[in-house]
Amino acid sequence: MRIGRQTYAIDYGHLALITLIAAAVFWYLLDARSVSLSVNNLLLVQPVAIFALAMYLFVLPQCFRKVDAREAARTASEQDPLSRNIPAERSDMLRMAALSVSLGLLVLLLDTLGFDIAIFLFTLAAMVICGERHPVRLLLFSCAVTLVAIYGFRAMIPYPMPTTLL
Amino acid sequence: MIDISAFHEALGILFSSISAWGWIVPGLIIGLVFAAIPGISITMAMAIVLPMSLYMDFFPAMVFLTSVYTGAGFGGSVPAILMNIPGTPSSFATTFDGYAMSQKGEHNEALGYALFASTLCGIFGYVLLLLVLEPLADIVLRIGPVEMFAVAIWGMMLLGSLGSTYISRGLLAAALGILLGTVGMNTAGFTRGTLGVPELLDGIAPIPAMIGLLAASQLLSLAGRDYIIEAEGAREVSLRRILKGCWGTLKYPGVLLRGSIIGVVIGAVPGVGSSISNLISYAETKRTAKDSATFGKGNPKGVIAAESAVASGEGGSMATMLALGIPGGGATAILIAAFMMHNVVPGPSFIDTQKPMAYAIILNNMVQAVVLLVVGIGFIYAATNVMKVRTRYVLPAILVVATLGTYAVTGEAAGPITLFVFAMLGFALNRYEYPVPAVVVGILLGRMLETEFLRSYQLSAGNPLYVLERPGAMAIFAVMFISLAMTAWGKRKQNKAEAAEAALLRLRHDADAHAHTTPSKG
Repeated sequence: MRIGRQTYAIDYGHLALITLIAAAVFWYLLDARSVSLSVNNLLLVQPVAIFALAMYLFVLPQCFRKVDAREAARTASEQDPLSRNIPAERSDMLRMAALSVSLGLLVLLLDTLGFDIAIFLFTLAAMVICGERHPVRLLLFSCAVTLVAIYGFRAMIPYPMPTTLL
Repeated sequence: MIDISAFHEALGILFSSISAWGWIVPGLIIGLVFAAIPGISITMAMAIVLPMSLYMDFFPAMVFLTSVYTGAGFGGSVPAILMNIPGTPSSFATTFDGYAMSQKGEHNEALGYALFASTLCGIFGYVLLLLVLEPLADIVLRIGPVEMFAVAIWGMMLLGSLGSTYISRGLLAAALGILLGTVGMNTAGFTRGTLGVPELLDGIAPIPAMIGLLAASQLLSLAGRDYIIEAEGAREVSLRRILKGCWGTLKYPGVLLRGSIIGVVIGAVPGVGSSISNLISYAETKRTAKDSATFGKGNPKGVIAAESAVASGEGGSMATMLALGIPGGGATAILIAAFMMHNVVPGPSFIDTQKPMAYAIILNNMVQAVVLLVVGIGFIYAATNVMKVRTRYVLPAILVVATLGTYAVTGEAAGPITLFVFAMLGFALNRYEYPVPAVVVGILLGRMLETEFLRSYQLSAGNPLYVLERPGAMAIFAVMFISLAMTAWGKRKQNKAEAAEAALLRLRHDADAHAHTTPSKG
C-alpha cells in the first residue's frame, strides 16, 4: 500500500485478529451495559474493556510496516502466488489449517459419529496431514490410538462416551 | 521460621498418604518423556495430564502434577545436551555448553552435571520456600481486598508486559483474558456475554480453555515440523561417567548458589519464568567466571548454571502461587486450575487455614527432586529412543488425549468445543507474538479480580480516596507503575538498538551485493 511516497506492507492476518478482538470486546461492553448500568455490574468490565480498546489503537499501527520500494518489489516477487515453488512457511500454514479443520470436525462430530469412529478418522487424517503415507502404519497406529483412548478414558471417567463400534 | 506444629501435621499427611507417593514416579516419567520430545513444553505436558488429576484426591493430584513439573524441568535438557535441540524453551541455555561437551564425547558427564544440578537446586528452591512460608503467611494475612486487587492487577501487568516483545500486545492479551474471565454471572448477580448459552452462566470452563490455549494451539503449530533425529543421538550411556558428572557438580557450589538464587527470584515474578532465568543465570556465570572464554566450548559451569536456575525456579513460582494465589506463568496456572478442580482456593486463606497441606506439598517436592536422580538416570538410557519419536505419531495421539481430557472435565461436548475455540485463539495469538499465559491467567483471575474490586468498592463506599488509607495498596500501585515504565523504557532502548543493528547489517549486505555486481575493471 502506498501513502504519498512511502510504501507500507500490511499484515492482514494480524489486522484481522486484533480487529476481531476489538469487535468482541466492544460487543461485550455493549452487552454488559444493556444488562444494567449499575456500578456493581460495570465496575471492572467497563474500564478493562475501554483499556483493551485503547490498546487496540496502540497495536493497530504495528500492522503497517514501512518498506522501501526496492524491498517491497523483492518481497512481492518472492511471494508470487503463481510461483512454482510454494514457500516452506506457506506449506506449513496449509498443514496447520488442515489440522485445525480436522480438530474442529472431531469435536463437532464426536457425538454424531461416535467417539470411536471420530477419533479413528481424526488420527488417520492428522497423520496424513503431518506427512505419513504408509497405509499399514496409518491403519495400525490409528486403530491403536482409538482403542487406547476409548478404553483408557472409559475406565477413568464416570460419564458415558457414545461409541458406534467399541 | 517454620510453624513446628503445622510441620508435624504435614509429616503426618505425608506418611498417612503413602498411596500419593505412588504418583511420583509416573509423574516424573511423564514429565521427562514429554519434555524430551522436541516441541512439547513443560506447560503443554502439564495441561495434557491435568484432567487425569480430576479423579484423584487433592494431595495425590498435587503430587502427580508437581512431579510432571519436576520431571519436565530436567527432561528438556536431555535432547539439549545430546542433540543441540532444547526439549523445552527452559533448556535453551543448556545447549550452549551441554552440546559442546557432547561433541567432545563428554555427554555422560554433561547429563550428570545437569541431573545433579536439577536435583540439588530443586531441593534448594523448596527449602527456601519452606523457610519463607511462615513469614509470608504473616504478611499476606494482613492483605485486604484492595491490596489483593492491586497485587492481581500487578501480576497481570507483569505477565502482559514481560511476556511479549511488545508491551501493548501483552497488555491487550491480559485485558482480553480478564474480560473472558468475567463472562457469565458475577457475584452481584448480573449476567453478561453468555449469548444465551446456559453453559456460559458459570463462566467459560477454565480447564478446557486452558488446555486449548496452552497445549492444543501449540500442537497445531507443530503440524509443519516433523523432527527426524538421526542416529547421532545413539551415543553410549555410561552410568559411571554420569555419576562422575554428578559428583563433579559439587565442585562448583558458587555456580549452584548463584543459579538457584536467580531461579528462585525470577521464578517468583509473574511473567518471566524459567525460559528467561536459565539464560540470565548462564550469562551471569559467564560474566563473573575467570575462564569465561571457554563458555560455549564445553564448560561444565555453563550446564550447571542453566539447569540450577530452571530447577530452583519451581520453588519460586510456587511461593507466589501458594501465598497470593497468583500464577507466575503457564505451569502454575495449571496448578491453580487443579486447586480449583478440588474446590481449594490458593492464596492467603489457604496458607492460613491449610498450612500443614502447604508444607506437605513442599516436602513432597523435595522427595520428588531426590527420586528424580534415580528416575532421571534410568530415563537417560531410554531417552535416545524417545527423542526419535516423530511428530506425525505424537501429534494426533496427544490431540486426542487433550480432547478427551476436556470431555472428562465437563462430561459434555461443551468441553471439546471450548478446547477447539481457544486452540484457534491461542494459535492466532502465538503467531502474532501475544503472550498466551497472560490470557490464561486472566481467565483464571477475572472473577477473583471482579469480586475483590467489588468488595473494595463496598468497603470504601465508592470513595476512590479510600486507597490513600491503604499504604500497602498505594505502594503496590506505585511499584506497578514504576516497573511498567521501566519495562517500556528498556524495551524501547532494546528495539532502537536492534533497529540500528539491523540497519547496519542491511548496509553491509547492500555494500557486499554492490561489490559483487560491479564488474571489475582492468
